[in-house]
Amino acid sequence: MHALKIQNIEKIYGKVKVLKGIDLEIQPGQFLILVGPSGCGKSTLLNMIAGLEPVSNGNIFIGDRDVTHLDPKDRDIAMVFQSYALYPNMTVRQNIEFGLTIRKTEKSEQKKIVEKVSKLLQIEPLLDRKPKQLSGGQRQRVAMGRALARDPSIFLFDEPLSNLDAKLRVEMRGEIKELHQREGTTIVYVTHDQIEAMTLGDVIAVMKDGEIQQFGPPQDIYDNPRNQFIASFMGSPSMNFIPCQAEKVNGVIQISLESGNEKVKVPIKQNIKGLEAYADKSIILGIRPEQITQQGEEKPDSAKLNCDVELIEPTGPDTLVTVRINGVKTVCRIHPTAESKVDKLMPLLLDMSKVVFFDPDTQERVY
Amino acid sequence: MNIKRVLIYSILGFAALIYLLPLVVMVITSLKDLDEIRSGTLLSMPQALNFDSWDKAWGSACTGVSCEGLKGYFWNSVLIVVPAVIISTVIGALNGYVLTKWKFRGSTLFFGMLLIGTMIPFQVVLLPMARMLGFLGLAGTTSGLIMVHIIYGLAFTTLFFRNYYISIPSELVNAARIDGAGFWMIFHRIILPLSIPIIVVSVIWQFTQIWNDFLFGVVYSSGDSQPITVALNNLVNTSTGVKEYNVDMAAAIIAALPTLFVYIVAGKYFVKGLTAGAVKG
Repeated sequence: MHALKIQNIEKIYGKVKVLKGIDLEIQPGQFLILVGPSGCGKSTLLNMIAGLEPVSNGNIFIGDRDVTHLDPKDRDIAMVFQSYALYPNMTVRQNIEFGLTIRKTEKSEQKKIVEKVSKLLQIEPLLDRKPKQLSGGQRQRVAMGRALARDPSIFLFDEPLSNLDAKLRVEMRGEIKELHQREGTTIVYVTHDQIEAMTLGDVIAVMKDGEIQQFGPPQDIYDNPRNQFIASFMGSPSMNFIPCQAEKVNGVIQISLESGNEKVKVPIKQNIKGLEAYADKSIILGIRPEQITQQGEEKPDSAKLNCDVELIEPTGPDTLVTVRINGVKTVCRIHPTAESKVDKLMPLLLDMSKVVFFDPDTQERVY
Repeated sequence: MNIKRVLIYSILGFAALIYLLPLVVMVITSLKDLDEIRSGTLLSMPQALNFDSWDKAWGSACTGVSCEGLKGYFWNSVLIVVPAVIISTVIGALNGYVLTKWKFRGSTLFFGMLLIGTMIPFQVVLLPMARMLGFLGLAGTTSGLIMVHIIYGLAFTTLFFRNYYISIPSELVNAARIDGAGFWMIFHRIILPLSIPIIVVSVIWQFTQIWNDFLFGVVYSSGDSQPITVALNNLVNTSTGVKEYNVDMAAAIIAALPTLFVYIVAGKYFVKGLTAGAVKG
């Protein structure tokens, strides 16, 4: 039984199609992330699930109820907003109680719920304060408390962490995940931050231009991006795209890589049937920074290349080294102890077992 | 540095003095009797505190035919101003709420047309409004005058509230909608509590506009229902016997007192409300 089902949803403003037929389905207890660059329609989609924006075409089901044309209040949802949207004239307690009062929950019951929620989120000492007396993280907690108090069947989060500073964001991210694990809530979460998407989601829907580009578990989207957009959007630093020439030698497809003064031909051992069609043509090699490492980390299918180092950025746990392969800047994730110097050659290993290929014209993945 | 300060303060002091001078002259003239006025200069002090002219202005001065002072007209004005201010502020608040948080097709055009309403001079609406009042059977009545003030003031109050509410985040309204609140509940529980500064602005603005109005008052009211501004005019222009400058002055001050009072009590909110922008959540 699905918790949320979206069928062919469209949103049309005048002549512009903002959402072009979205289909989605999640199970109870799942954490769905809608991620994409700004303007991709993810917030519009969330607002339509919430009932804050009318649906142009299609249907939305929550549980087995068709809620497409219901008021927000009748949809059994709660929402956490980017600006938190706490009622400034009410105390934290009143903020949490507001929805309960409107729904005529009994006073004694309200008190119990407020107690439970504030304990869960550790906001008990704040209950009698006004929102403007709270810090960003505390407001965030109260906003979540307000949503939790209602115990809805689906929680909607609209970029809830984007107003927090970097450290607090990581902290709250952990808390949201913990809360989800503990309470088993069903969540739809909008973000433009791919790290949030990766860390929080059970399933991710990557959106662009009003369409879902790929839908699946985070690791699957990371490892098997369907096209170049998804590959570059998910992961930081993003995947390297190296244009190279393919040729067929003895029945095996090889690609040529060049850096410094060295040129090597690398046979592709992965079983990618589509590659055959690219013999004697150019193709895009997609390789993630962590798949290019220093010597001494040989994998069964590693290719070695001496590369000209252009830039070194230590991050602590790793060092990001920028080299030039086939004329394009390529970022590699190197162990900090590995020796590297700008303008010197550095031997690097490319793990070919995980690389992916894209068509240079369509930017679609080659399978 | 110090000399600059002294210079600035003396210029400011001088300007304030010039601004205050008419009021001072009015007050001291109202406290003199006619002999003192004739024998002394404009700025010479009264010999004793003498409130006779205030008594007369309030209770027995002649305004045209009747000689009952301003008393009755003062209450006329109160009866006009209080409902007109309250109703135009309430409707203005609702308009602003709808125009920012419940936009409808054509709401921008609607607001644009309302804005034109703020630029229409009184004189332009005089005749059509007179026809309308006659048609409604409200000509010459207090309720008719109240209605005129409400309609004319709506453009202004709507503008105030609309510009204030535009800075209240719409997410607040959305959050309340998801919490289950409807149109009125959101207005009452969320929006109104945030509106105090702009309500003060609207009330002060409308109060001074309507209290000080002369043109609508003189055109649309008659006889006993006239507001105080019209009565003051009649009092000063009644041309039997000697010109009683002290009574004129006292009457003018009485007519101006309520607006003065409103500014002193709520003035600081006025400035605050005009400059208040974002509501921090």
